[in-house]
Amino acid sequence: MRTTGRASLLSITPFKVWVGLLGAVFAAGLVAMFIVFWKGLAVTNLTDLVPWGLWITIDLSSIAMSAGAFLLCAAVYLLGLKRFQPLARTATFIGLIGYSMAVMTLLLDIGRPDRFWHAILYWNTHSVLWEVTMCVTLYFTVLLLETAPIFGGLPLLKRRFPWASSRLSSLHHLAPYLAVVGLCLSMLHQSSLGATYGVLKAKPIWYRPDLSVLFMISAIAGGVSLTLLVSMLAGRLSPKVHVKDDLIERVASYLGWVLVVYLYFRFWDAFSMTYTYAPGRTEGLRMLTSGELAFNFWVGEIFLGVIVPIVILLTKRLRSQPGLRMLALLMVVGGVVAYRWDINMAGQLILMTYLPQEIVARYTQYMPSLIEFISGAGVVAYGILAITLGVRYLNIVDHQTIEQEEVEGVLDPVAGD
Amino acid sequence: MQTNDKNIGRRQFLKISAVVTAAAIGLRQVNRTSASSGKKGKYQWAMVIDQGKCTGCGYCTNACRAHNDVPPDISWNRVIEAGKIGDRTVYLSRPCMQCEHAPCVEVCMVGASYYRDDGIVMMDYDKCIGCRYCEVACPYGGRAFNWDAFTGDNPAVPTWGQPEVPRRPRGVPEKCSFCYQRIDRGLMLGLKPGLDEAATPACVVACPVGARTFGDLSDPESSVSQLLKDHPYYRLREDLGTNPRVYYLPAREETSHENNG
Repeated sequence: MRTTGRASLLSITPFKVWVGLLGAVFAAGLVAMFIVFWKGLAVTNLTDLVPWGLWITIDLSSIAMSAGAFLLCAAVYLLGLKRFQPLARTATFIGLIGYSMAVMTLLLDIGRPDRFWHAILYWNTHSVLWEVTMCVTLYFTVLLLETAPIFGGLPLLKRRFPWASSRLSSLHHLAPYLAVVGLCLSMLHQSSLGATYGVLKAKPIWYRPDLSVLFMISAIAGGVSLTLLVSMLAGRLSPKVHVKDDLIERVASYLGWVLVVYLYFRFWDAFSMTYTYAPGRTEGLRMLTSGELAFNFWVGEIFLGVIVPIVILLTKRLRSQPGLRMLALLMVVGGVVAYRWDINMAGQLILMTYLPQEIVARYTQYMPSLIEFISGAGVVAYGILAITLGVRYLNIVDHQTIEQEEVEGVLDPVAGD
Repeated sequence: MQTNDKNIGRRQFLKISAVVTAAAIGLRQVNRTSASSGKKGKYQWAMVIDQGKCTGCGYCTNACRAHNDVPPDISWNRVIEAGKIGDRTVYLSRPCMQCEHAPCVEVCMVGASYYRDDGIVMMDYDKCIGCRYCEVACPYGGRAFNWDAFTGDNPAVPTWGQPEVPRRPRGVPEKCSFCYQRIDRGLMLGLKPGLDEAATPACVVACPVGARTFGDLSDPESSVSQLLKDHPYYRLREDLGTNPRVYYLPAREETSHENNG
C-alpha cells in the first residue's frame, strides 16, 4: 500500500478514494454544522415535544462504541491478560475518537454552545447529566493520556521531535493507573446515560432501573464489537497490518456470551413491562413491539442485533469464517445503535396528558431534518476517517510489534514472583 | 523487585480510589438532601384556579405574553379544553406548576433551574446551556424552547400590558415564573401579593371572571388558604409526587349553574 516514488503519489488507490469520500462527507457535515451554529436549532425538526433526536442517538452510540477501551484496558492492566494488549491499543484509540464524536455532537445539540464550559463550572450534583458530564470530561482526559504513546509512535514525530515522541511514549507507564480510573469513570457514566432516561418519572416507558444496566451491557457488546471489526477490516484491507485471528476469534466468542447476558436482561425488562398496564408504558411497549418502532425493535435490535450474532459467534464453525464473523460484529454495532434510537424515541413520541380526566397517551412524530442528517453524517464520517488514518499512520491495529515494546508497562501479579 | 514495588503501588492506588469514591458518594448524598428539600422562606406562593368560573377567554395568556415578553409561538400559560359539564365546556389553564419537587430542577446539570425560598421554580437564563433535559423531564409541558431568536414587536404589547422582564435569548427554554418580578417589586413597595394588583401575577390580574387567586400558603388567612380550606381541590398528576403549587377547584354542576344564572 505504501506509495513509493513520485508517480505513485498521483495514482488513484482505493485508500485515497475512501479517504476522499469520507473527507467530502465530513466537509459537507462541517458546512451543515456551521449553518446550525449560525441559524440556531430552528433548522432542526426538533420540537418542544421531541427535544432530543438524531444527534442524541449519535452521541449515545459513539459513547457506547467507545466502551471497548475501558474494558480491554482493565482486562490487560488489571487482570493481567497480556494477550489482549493489541486489542486494548485499538480500543483506546477508537475510544478517543468516539468521545470526540460525542463532544462534537453535544456541541451541536445544545442551544448555547458558547456556554459549553458552564457544564464544568456550575454543578448540580443531583443531576445524572452532571455526573455524566464530569465523567466524560475526566475520561476524555484519561483517553488522551492513554493514547499519548500511540501518537508518540508517529514516524514523523519520532524523526523530527524525538524528545516529544519519547515523552509521549513514556506516559505508557501510567497505563495501569489510567486503567483503574478509566474503569471507574466508564462504569459510572455508561450506566448513568441509561439512568438519564431511567430517572424521568414523566415518561413511564423510561422510568425503570433496567435502563442503566442495559446501557452498560449493550455498550460493552457494541464497544468490543467495533474494536474487533476495525481490527479485522484493517487486517484484510492493508497488507501492512497483521492481526492474530485466533485472538480476535476468542474475544468474539466471549462477545457471544455477553450478548446472551444482554438478551436475558432485555427479555425480562420487556416482559415485565407487559404486566404493569401503566398508562404510557403500555403504549410505549406497544410502539416498540407492534407500532412504528417495531421493525427497528424486532429486526434491528433483537433478531439482527442479538440473536443472529449469538448464533454466529457461539458456533465454532460459523465464527471461524472471517466474513461471517465480521458480519456478526457489524450487526451487533447496528443493534446497539438501533437500541439507542428506539429508547430515545419511545419515550418522546408518546405524550402523557396531564388532564385529570384523560391520562391516555397521545402520539407525536419526529423525522430529522436534512441539516440534522448531513451534520450527523459529518460526525460519523469524521470518526471513520480518523480511525482509517489511525490504522494507516499510527499503527492502531498491530498485533506483532506492540507486544515486545509495550508489555513492559503491564503490572502482572503472576509475573511478579 | 521493581515489579513488586509496582504491585504495592497498585494496591495502594486501589485503596485510595475506593476511599475517594466512597467520599464522593457520601458528598453526593449530603448534597441531594439539601438540593431537593430547599430552604423554606417566609412566603410560600400558590395559585388557585377555579375551573367552575373559567370561561376559556385566554386573557390570562395574553396578559402573560405582554408582561413577560413571551414570543407569539410560545405560551407560558396554556388554556386547554378539558371536557364538558352538561353543554358547558370546561377549561384548564396551565401555568408552570412551581413544583415543590420539580423534575426540571432535579435534572438540570448546571443548576440553571432552581428553587427560590418562596417556592418559585426559577430559570437562570444566563447559566442555561440549552440541553433541554428539563423539557424532557417536565410532566406538565411547562417549558418551551427558544428554537429561534424572538425579534421584532410583541403583538401583545401594548394592548395587554408592558414587558417587565428581558427577552430570553435563542437557545434556552423558558417558562412561567409566577411573575416573580411583580412579587419582588411589590413586596419592596410594601404591597401584598394577591391583594394589590401591582404585586400579583399578570394572569391573575387580567382574569375577567376572577377564576384565579394568588397568595401565600403559609398565611392561613390568605385568600388561597381560605379557598383551599373551604373547597374540594385537586392538583395535576399528584401521583408523580411533584407537589405542585397550582391548585384547581374542579367545575361542578352547581358552580356552572351559579355562573350561568
